[in-house]
Amino acid sequence: MYNLLLKDFKLGVNPWFLAMPVLTGALMLVPGWIYFLVLLYFCWITIPNVFASFRSQNDLLFTSMMPVTRKDMVKARMLVIVGLELLHVAFAVIFGAINRLLYPDFVYYFFAPTLGFLGLCLVMLAIFNVVFFPIYYKTAYKHGNAAIASISAAMLFAAVTQWAGIASADVSRVINDTGTGHLAWQTSVLVAGIAIFAALTILAYRMAIRQFQKVEL
Amino acid sequence: MLALDVQNVNKKFDRFQLKNVSFQLEKGYIMGFIGANGAGKTTTIKSILNMTRLDSGDVRILGKRMADHELELKQAIGCAFGDVDFYTRSKISKLTEVIKTFYKNWDDETYYAYLKRFKLDENKKIAELSTGMKVKYNLAVALSHGAKLLVLDEPTSGLDPVARDDLLDIFQSLVAGGEISILFSTHITSDLEKCADFITYIDNGQIIDSADKEEFKASYRLLNGKESELDQVRSKLISYRVNSFGFTGLIRAKDFDPDSGIRSALPSLEEIMVYYAKKEEAHV
Repeated sequence: MYNLLLKDFKLGVNPWFLAMPVLTGALMLVPGWIYFLVLLYFCWITIPNVFASFRSQNDLLFTSMMPVTRKDMVKARMLVIVGLELLHVAFAVIFGAINRLLYPDFVYYFFAPTLGFLGLCLVMLAIFNVVFFPIYYKTAYKHGNAAIASISAAMLFAAVTQWAGIASADVSRVINDTGTGHLAWQTSVLVAGIAIFAALTILAYRMAIRQFQKVEL
Repeated sequence: MLALDVQNVNKKFDRFQLKNVSFQLEKGYIMGFIGANGAGKTTTIKSILNMTRLDSGDVRILGKRMADHELELKQAIGCAFGDVDFYTRSKISKLTEVIKTFYKNWDDETYYAYLKRFKLDENKKIAELSTGMKVKYNLAVALSHGAKLLVLDEPTSGLDPVARDDLLDIFQSLVAGGEISILFSTHITSDLEKCADFITYIDNGQIIDSADKEEFKASYRLLNGKESELDQVRSKLISYRVNSFGFTGLIRAKDFDPDSGIRSALPSLEEIMVYYAKKEEAHV
């Protein structure tokens, strides 16, 4: 497993994409922005570029020639991508906290960078994962359709949730509360977000393995 | 001992099928795997390496079933696909640093000895290597992890005659110790005339013959006769062509009567391939 991770980070993933979480995370400093976009940049930029690089370098055939199982190939690749997702989330959280320090009295029209919002972001990434990986592993190299479907699904979730946050005073009150008034609710949303992220990512992993076992290399 | 034992491999695709592919390679020998483009060479090689799921059949490498011992056997196999490049923008040193982590028996000393022998510069990028040098790099990697079976798909395609000759010499020196066996596919039959011990010929997904090279050639005759003599052998010919001097055709030696008066000669591998291809055309 270590060798597969090393391969992806040394040969496949351009170091630039390890810097992207810092750059996109810094967008959390834009006051009152639609902060879902910060993580969507990962889906829009990092995913297509990283998978295009794997494809153009014939990574699939290269890896298949190594003494590794197909299951480990999927596991390692998903660990790399989920690791990058969590790195994006981590920097979004750091810059979100700085945002709160910089603009303590800001009135947010869209979702504020709160714990509740973080939970929603994790659900968005969970949806991305559960759509992207099973479609991608039907071929293990064509990433276009998988990216379009998964990014559309993630954006749809973000749009509907953000719309609910604007249209519903209750949702806005709970998620946008930058004080401690709705901390219990927000923590619940975060915990649910973590659980959904874990569950859907594991489901994506299992579905991806099933698909990949059928692929003719 | 058999280095490679392929038994009754069947695999059906939409427009192509491997039918009962069977052949064996003894340890310490070179087998040339020949056939026209699209005959099924690469598909067979992918089946051997478990990259393609078999409909039926069995592949054994060094006595063990590939399906059951894939990881263990891949430690003992070195493979290269001649027309496919990997991570071409990376330096040799960087690629090797990654590859060596996959192999339990990796030996740096052997690796550097082969780099020196093949005159490979570690600081060069894969894209900067000539086709021949890329094959040599693949060989250096395979031999450094102690591969006992080299499975090479078209390693000599795209090489100039000097580089091909050099590579064939290397193949022969590798099997000289009796430990390493090589299966290499090619459609360049002159390569096999020079270095193969055994020939396996595949045509349209079926193995036509798999035998010792001389025995393989001796099992055919190339006939040169007058047009009036054609009717005597027409039904037994694999294929033939008629020209203003008469006809030339390929026939199995067992189907040919030397007393018939028709001139015959031992065909080259290329002639065998060409006449089998003509047979296919005739059936289309």
